[in-house]
Amino acid sequence: MLRMASTFPEDVLEHVFSFIQCHQDRNSISMVCKSWYEIERWCRKRVFVGNCYAVSPQIVIRRFPDVRSVELKGKPHFADFSLVPDGWGGYVYPWILAMASAYPLLEEIRLKRMVVTDESLELISKSFKNFKVLVLMTCEGFSTDGLAAIAANCRHLKVLDLRESDVEDLNGHWLSHFPDTYTSLVSLNIACLVSEVSVSALERLVDRCPNLRTLRLNRPVPLDRHANLLRRAPQLVEFGAGCYTADLRSEVFSSLTGAFTSCTELKSLSGFWDVVPAYLPSVYPTCSQLTSLNLSYATIQCDDLTKLVSQCHNLQKLWVLDFIEDSGLEAVAVTCKDLRELRVFPSEPYGLEPNVSLTEQGLVSVSEGCPKLQSVLYFCRQMTNAALVTIARNRPNMTRFRLCILEPWTPDYVTGQALDVGFGAIVEYCKDLQRFSLSGLLTDRCFEYIGTYGKKLEMLSVAFAGESDLGLHHVLSGCDSLRKLEIRDCPFGDKALLANAAKLETMRSLWMSSCSVSFGACKLLAQKFPQLNVEVIDERDPPNTRPESCPVERLYIYRSVAGRRLDMPGFVWTMDGDAPLRLT
Amino acid sequence: MSESAMAVVKPEMKSYIWLQTADGSIQQVEEEVAMFCPMICREILQTGMGSSKNYAISLPQRVNPAILGLILDYCRFHQVPGRSNKERKTFDEKFIRMDTKKLCELTSAADSLQLKPLVDLTSRALARIIEGKTPEEIRETFHLPDDLTEEEKLEPLRNITDDPRIRLLNRLYARKRKELREREKLKNVEIEERVDDRSVDDLLSFINGGDGDSKAVKTNKNKKKNRRRKDQQKDSSSTTNENGNHDKIEELDALPSCCQNNEFNQILGASPSRTVKSQDSAAAMYSSKIEFDDADIYDDLDPAMKEELDREVEDFARRLNSDWPERVQEILSLGQERNLVTVLTGNGSSPRFTKQVLIGGSSLPVGVQR
Repeated sequence: MLRMASTFPEDVLEHVFSFIQCHQDRNSISMVCKSWYEIERWCRKRVFVGNCYAVSPQIVIRRFPDVRSVELKGKPHFADFSLVPDGWGGYVYPWILAMASAYPLLEEIRLKRMVVTDESLELISKSFKNFKVLVLMTCEGFSTDGLAAIAANCRHLKVLDLRESDVEDLNGHWLSHFPDTYTSLVSLNIACLVSEVSVSALERLVDRCPNLRTLRLNRPVPLDRHANLLRRAPQLVEFGAGCYTADLRSEVFSSLTGAFTSCTELKSLSGFWDVVPAYLPSVYPTCSQLTSLNLSYATIQCDDLTKLVSQCHNLQKLWVLDFIEDSGLEAVAVTCKDLRELRVFPSEPYGLEPNVSLTEQGLVSVSEGCPKLQSVLYFCRQMTNAALVTIARNRPNMTRFRLCILEPWTPDYVTGQALDVGFGAIVEYCKDLQRFSLSGLLTDRCFEYIGTYGKKLEMLSVAFAGESDLGLHHVLSGCDSLRKLEIRDCPFGDKALLANAAKLETMRSLWMSSCSVSFGACKLLAQKFPQLNVEVIDERDPPNTRPESCPVERLYIYRSVAGRRLDMPGFVWTMDGDAPLRLT
Repeated sequence: MSESAMAVVKPEMKSYIWLQTADGSIQQVEEEVAMFCPMICREILQTGMGSSKNYAISLPQRVNPAILGLILDYCRFHQVPGRSNKERKTFDEKFIRMDTKKLCELTSAADSLQLKPLVDLTSRALARIIEGKTPEEIRETFHLPDDLTEEEKLEPLRNITDDPRIRLLNRLYARKRKELREREKLKNVEIEERVDDRSVDDLLSFINGGDGDSKAVKTNKNKKKNRRRKDQQKDSSSTTNENGNHDKIEELDALPSCCQNNEFNQILGASPSRTVKSQDSAAAMYSSKIEFDDADIYDDLDPAMKEELDREVEDFARRLNSDWPERVQEILSLGQERNLVTVLTGNGSSPRFTKQVLIGGSSLPVGVQR
């Protein structure tokens, strides 16, 4: 058989590879054979590192000499729920330092849940002459000074996106550091900034950047300045409003309406803090063209919300507070036939009594009415097995399903039973389910369903569920595609973990907090599997001051080729296992 | 021949170009079709060749007669100016339907003729074939060798720490290992020899990764003084096992490497040279200098330091040796009794030992996690 390698010139193969950009495919290519590995590594331009501690910057740089775009993720997902103490890690500085000399042509940095310092931002701004894209999702550790450095030095910056990051607001003048000659802005998202930015500086910036497509304002931008900004950028595709409150003035209202009308390309809206209902109709001109609507900060009540969504025939993504209620969701089901993603957030998550009429029925309606619905995040207070089975049958095309019943251990409110059958139905009918979050009263049975049917499941989040190690065992032994598993407050101990320890090397990470995994088991795992970093997070005294059978507070296990990390704070202990070769 | 051309040009005015493929066969092609290929076009204009059978233009080797036919079909269609984009696209989509082997030949040939639009078309088609496939499937489709595992075995350990003393130690151990190998070649192989060999290999990887104890390395943020990083490394496998009796073990080394490739790729897609995990020293992590060529450093070492390092090596070897014999007995007894590969895949018992000792616990048993 003709060997392809012998007749196919390398540069042509490289040209073929240039049409393949997805990370998974690039990885597959690199594994085919020696020559493909070499060719691929020299022409790889984009690198994605799902866990910044799984590999070191030096290893990445050594393997891929000519990278233009890097994406890194740091803290585990449960950091979003304050389960990861401050100072845990996820520092990006070592990466920036290494890349500053190795990748002078770097153009894009995307970070998620990492600690970014002003020093890092300054280094970025000075090291990469061609720097274009900076996206910081749920990051922290930097201030507006760092942003000023980016603004001042990154001549070719196109994207500055601070999505949900925690920024120390030292002053609002950082925006003015964009020089007058700077005109390349395409996307600016400052919605997470708490204090005022200079709106005049913003206006001047918007004026001179004709390619601006995304502008997401922060809360303090007053409503009466919105129209001016919109008029300066009628080509906007995505807009995030600030505070939608002002005294009722007809000229402000008509100005806004006019401005929105002229934005004929607008497809996405977000923001809208503190909405005065009377101003809401000013966005109606955009409704029929909207594909994405994020009202998760908007305190708009049911009737107004319903009126709004009833005009959004082309909506594909809807994020909204539970003010929408079942009736609003019924309207969504009727109107938004193209809906792919729904997220309903709780307006009062800590309240004891429901403040709105949002039940399982809302989700059932949407599952019936929206044939393309694939991704759901739904917070509610009650659920039944019947509803879940219905949803599963309606939407076998579901790929992401996260249901959060606010009160732990809540059973099916009609039958009083556990919700095993309901969640089981989801995983059984939805054959392509990739992401799954459970809640409510669940026994080991539920996990048996997940292990049996969840063959494509990649990420599973579990809280206050299960009865014994068998539950964890089902998941670890059955879910072939599992990459990330996060567990809190479940009665899972050593047995399942140790029996399925080899599985952990096939996954990106495992998080377990407030479970029953013993210190001894952690040590054993580390001993058997040096390729895993077994980190114990314990804010009490060192775990070795207690008996080995004592459960650890929090456990984070991830595979790594970079070895143990060196930047751990005092409350994180990496297990080495018992080493017969102790050299002291 | 397109209709429009017929209408404009009188038959006796039509010119042909003569092309010769590597196998010696000669074809004649309408001039406007041939001129669509930049390479042929250039030949005609610069050298005047191609106007007769005796002066046929020699085509690059990658163009065989069958493929030339296809290419000319492509040129014949596209060189007609009047066609709409839609027509061209439809033609392309139909044109590209052929088996993978032919598609590869076509891509290669089009590249040699510098026919960029066709190169793009065929490259994209190949990309689509590759997308979504596993490495195994890609290998099958393109008849490519499965040669990565061997590559890993031979790839030298890379130490990415910047600290010169660590690199010195590496050179030292490499030299030691070489010496031992040479010794073995002269003697009959005995268990003791193997033990030595193994321990030095382990030392090598041990030191490559762990440096907590080495006086050379500055420790910085490691607050856990009672935890030594390198303890983790004690069981890392050797990468180059040249002892002939270790064939089975070599295989095993290969297996986890291949699997590690997989795992690692899922992290990111990294170097196959990690049968031993290389750990950064604190210095390395915060340093931006990466030097790979440390060939000369050992030779420049002053004698006093050489001696000190020699002593350190002996020391390490001694300590390791004290625990080693039992462990090695375990491996050997396993090895003699059954197929180690089976053990590795989890069908045997005590995978714990094999993992610990042979592959440093880094294995992904091949048949298990599918």
